[in-house]
Amino acid sequence: MLSRVAESLFWMSRYFERAENTARFLDVNFNLLLDLNNITHAENPNYWIALILVTSDKDRFNELYQEYTAYTVTDYLVFNKDNPNSITSCIGLARENARSIIESISSEMWEQVNNLYHYLQSVTPLTVQTDPYTFYKEIKNASHLFQGITDNTFSHNEGWDFIQIAKYLERTDNIARLIDVKYHMLLPELKSPHALSEEPMDVVDGSVDIIQWMAVLKSCSALEAFRKVYLSKIDPDNILRFLILDRTFPRSINFSVCAAEDALWRISGSSRHRYVNNADRLIGKMEAELSYTSIEDIYGKGLHHYLGDLEQRLVKIGEQVHLTYFAYHTPEIESGDIEAALPFTGIAGGRANWSQAQQHQQQQ
Amino acid sequence: MSRFFERYEADPASFFDEVISKEGVPRAHYDKLLHRFGQFTTDDIRARRQIVNIFFRNQGITFTVYGVDEGIERIFPFDLIPRVVPANEWQTIEKGLAQRVTALNEFLKDIYHTQKILKDKVVPAELVLGSKHFCREFVGVNPPQGIYIHVTGSDIIRDQNGKYLVLEDNLRTPSGVSYMLQNRQAMKRAFPVLFEKYKIRPIENYPQELLRTLQEISPVSRKDPNVVVLTPGIYNSAYFEHSFLARQMGVELTEGKDLVVNNNKVYTRTTRGLERVDVIYRRVDDAYLDPLVFRPDSKLGVAGLINAYRKGNVSLANAIGTGVVDDKVIYSFVPDIIKYYLGEDPILENVPTWLPSRPAHMKYILENLGSLVVKAANESGGYGMLIGPESTIAEQEKFAEMIVANPRNYIAQPTISLSRHPSFFNDTELYGCHIDLRPYVLYGKTITIVPGGLTRVALKKGSLVVNSSQGGGSKDTWVVDE
Repeated sequence: MLSRVAESLFWMSRYFERAENTARFLDVNFNLLLDLNNITHAENPNYWIALILVTSDKDRFNELYQEYTAYTVTDYLVFNKDNPNSITSCIGLARENARSIIESISSEMWEQVNNLYHYLQSVTPLTVQTDPYTFYKEIKNASHLFQGITDNTFSHNEGWDFIQIAKYLERTDNIARLIDVKYHMLLPELKSPHALSEEPMDVVDGSVDIIQWMAVLKSCSALEAFRKVYLSKIDPDNILRFLILDRTFPRSINFSVCAAEDALWRISGSSRHRYVNNADRLIGKMEAELSYTSIEDIYGKGLHHYLGDLEQRLVKIGEQVHLTYFAYHTPEIESGDIEAALPFTGIAGGRANWSQAQQHQQQQ
Repeated sequence: MSRFFERYEADPASFFDEVISKEGVPRAHYDKLLHRFGQFTTDDIRARRQIVNIFFRNQGITFTVYGVDEGIERIFPFDLIPRVVPANEWQTIEKGLAQRVTALNEFLKDIYHTQKILKDKVVPAELVLGSKHFCREFVGVNPPQGIYIHVTGSDIIRDQNGKYLVLEDNLRTPSGVSYMLQNRQAMKRAFPVLFEKYKIRPIENYPQELLRTLQEISPVSRKDPNVVVLTPGIYNSAYFEHSFLARQMGVELTEGKDLVVNNNKVYTRTTRGLERVDVIYRRVDDAYLDPLVFRPDSKLGVAGLINAYRKGNVSLANAIGTGVVDDKVIYSFVPDIIKYYLGEDPILENVPTWLPSRPAHMKYILENLGSLVVKAANESGGYGMLIGPESTIAEQEKFAEMIVANPRNYIAQPTISLSRHPSFFNDTELYGCHIDLRPYVLYGKTITIVPGGLTRVALKKGSLVVNSSQGGGSKDTWVVDE
C-alpha cells in the first residue's frame, strides 16, 4: 500500500473521531448546565473554559474571542475555520483526505463523509443554539454510521488497520484529556482559569456533585455501562477505574489502547513479547502497564501527572507510526530531530492547501 | 422524422450540419437514430436524462472550472444525442492522425538530436529553439524506442463544407478520455435499443491499450513492468480522470510525494518500503516534474526524476519537451513537417494560419481583426483568445497592441464556422450546437487509435468555444460500420 494512501486513511479516520469527541464534550456540557441551573450560576465561564482546555487551545481561542460563553465556545469548537480542531474543520479535513484516496476507499464511505460535510455547510449557529441535542446527535450518529459502513464495505486488510489505529489513538487521547480537565473542574472550589492549567492539584476530594460526575460518564456514552459494573454508588474512584482501566468498554483508555495495539500488530506481524518496530514496542509497553495498574497506583503518581504522561506517550506512538509507515527515511533520521526530518505528507490541519495553487495547472 | 427533428432548424446554408444535408434531408447514417428518437416523447427523453444524470453523479464525474465561486466540482454537461461518424470518414481521420503523429514524433526526435529540419530551413530555427516549451535539458536524451508522444489528443473540426481539419495538436497531457469512456457507458444504459440497431465500434478497451502502450515503453524488459499514474493532486481539474484511469488500468495513482529517487532509480514509498517504478504516465506539466531541473518551487514533482530518466532507468509518457509542437506557431508548419519526413501530402489539413512575425501577415491580421480568431501561441483550454466577430472594438484594440508588442506569441486564423450538431435544450427542443472531435492516439510499438473520441459541444447557443474549462459539454461519438 502506498504510504500516502495509508496516511490519508489514518488522518481521515482520526479527524472523524476527533469531530465526534468534540460533539460529545459540547453536548454533555449543555446538558450539564441545564442540570446545574438551579444550583450554581451557569454563566460561570469556568464551565466553558474547560472545553477549551480539553483541546489545549487556550491561546488561539484568546486571540479570537474576548470571553468564555456558550456562544463563543460553541462557535469556536463547531464552526471556526481558523480552529483546525473545530468540528467543521475536522470533517473538512477528513473529506479532503478521503477525496485524495477516493479510488482506494469504498464509494459508500465517501458518500458518508461527503454527506456529513454538506450537512455541516448547511448548519447555522442558530440551529445549534435552538436545538443542540439534535445537532450533536447528528454528528455522533454520522460518525457511528461511518464506522459501520467502513466495517462492512471496506476490506479488513492493512488499510482498515490504519483506520483502527487512528481511531483508537485519537479516542485514547480524548478520554485522557476529558478526565484530566473534568477532574479539576469538579473539585469543590472552582479555580480561576489560570489556576486550572497552571497549578493542577493531584488530590481527590470526594464531595463533588454526583450530577457532574455523571456528565463525565455520559460524554463517553458510559453511564449505562458503568452502572452495570458498579451497581452501588457513583464515586470518582470507580468512575476513573472504569474510564481508564476497564478492558471491555469501547470508550475506555485500556480498551482503546488494546484495539490500537491489535491493529498495529496485524500490520507488522508482531506478537506479544516480540516487537518489530518502535511503534509496536511503545504501544505494547503502554498496554502492559495499563493491564497491571490499579487506580491506587495512578493516584500515587498523581492523576494529572499520569494523564499528561499518557498523552505525551501517545504523541510518541503517533510519531513512530509516521516514521515506520508513512515517511520514507534513512536510518540517520531516526536518531535525529524528528520534527525537522519529517517530510510532511498527509493532509493534516492547517496545511491542507499547501500545493493547491500549483495543482491548478492548465490541462489540455 | 421525429417530432424533435421536425422542429429542428438546421440552417445548412450557413453551417455544415452533421445530421441534415444541404438538401434538407437526414444523412443516411443518421436514419436509424432519427427513427428511434421519433418514437420518444418529451417524457421519454426526461426519463433517459434522469438515468444519465444519476449515472454521472454516482460516478462522481466532475470537472473544475477555475475562477468560479459556486464550488469547485461541477458535473460535466452531457448531450443525449450521439454523434455518428461513418466508417469511411473515420478511415480518413485514422490514417490522417497516424500520419501526423508519426511525422511529429520524427520532428521531435530530430529537434532534440541533429536538428536537421532546422538546418534545412524548413522550420525557422529561432521559432523552435525560442519556443516556450522547447526543453534544452532534453537535447540528446533517447527515450525508449525513440517514442516521444505516447498519448496525443488532436482536436479536429469540420469546416463549412464538412472537410475535416486539425485545429490543434495536444502532445503534452491531453485530457478528456475518461469522459469518452463514461459517455459510452451512460448511453448504453439510457438507449440500449439503439445499440442493437447500429454496429458501433467498441472503445472500452482504451485503458487496456493505454496500459499495453505504457508497458511497451518500459526501460527494462521485466515481465510485469511497474506502471504508475502521476497526478498533480486532488485540486487539479482533471483529478477525476487521473484516478479513473489508474483504477481502470489497475495501477497505482501517485502524487509527487509518493515517489522518491535513489541512485537514479525511481521508487514508490509504500508501507512495506520502496518499490521500483518503471513507467510513469504523468499528468503533471514539464515545469513541475523535477524541482532540481525545472521550477525549483515545485511541490508536485520528484527531485532527481529527470536524471533517472536520462539514465534510462524510468520512462515518462509523454516525454519531456513535446509541448514545442503545441506551440500554435509551430503548428502552422506541421504540413511542411509531414512532407519533410514522410514525403507525403497531409491527409488531414491544417486550418489556414497567419503568423504576425511575418510582416505581410501582420498587416493582414491587423486589418482584419474583426473577422479573425487570434490565439496566444502557448495557451490551451480556450484561454487567451480573441474571437473577432464576437469581440468589441476595445478588445480588438487591446489584442492589436499585444500582437504588435509580441508578434512571436500570437497566431491568427479565419473564423471557421464549426460544423453543427442537433443537441437538446431543456430536453424539449433541439438546437444546432457547434462541435469538434478529439480522438486519442496511442503510440507504443505501434499506433493505436480507439475508434471515436470525445465530441465536445458548445452548449451555449451560438458559442464557438467547446472547451470544458469554458462550460462546454460533450456527446458520445459512434464510429459505425454500415
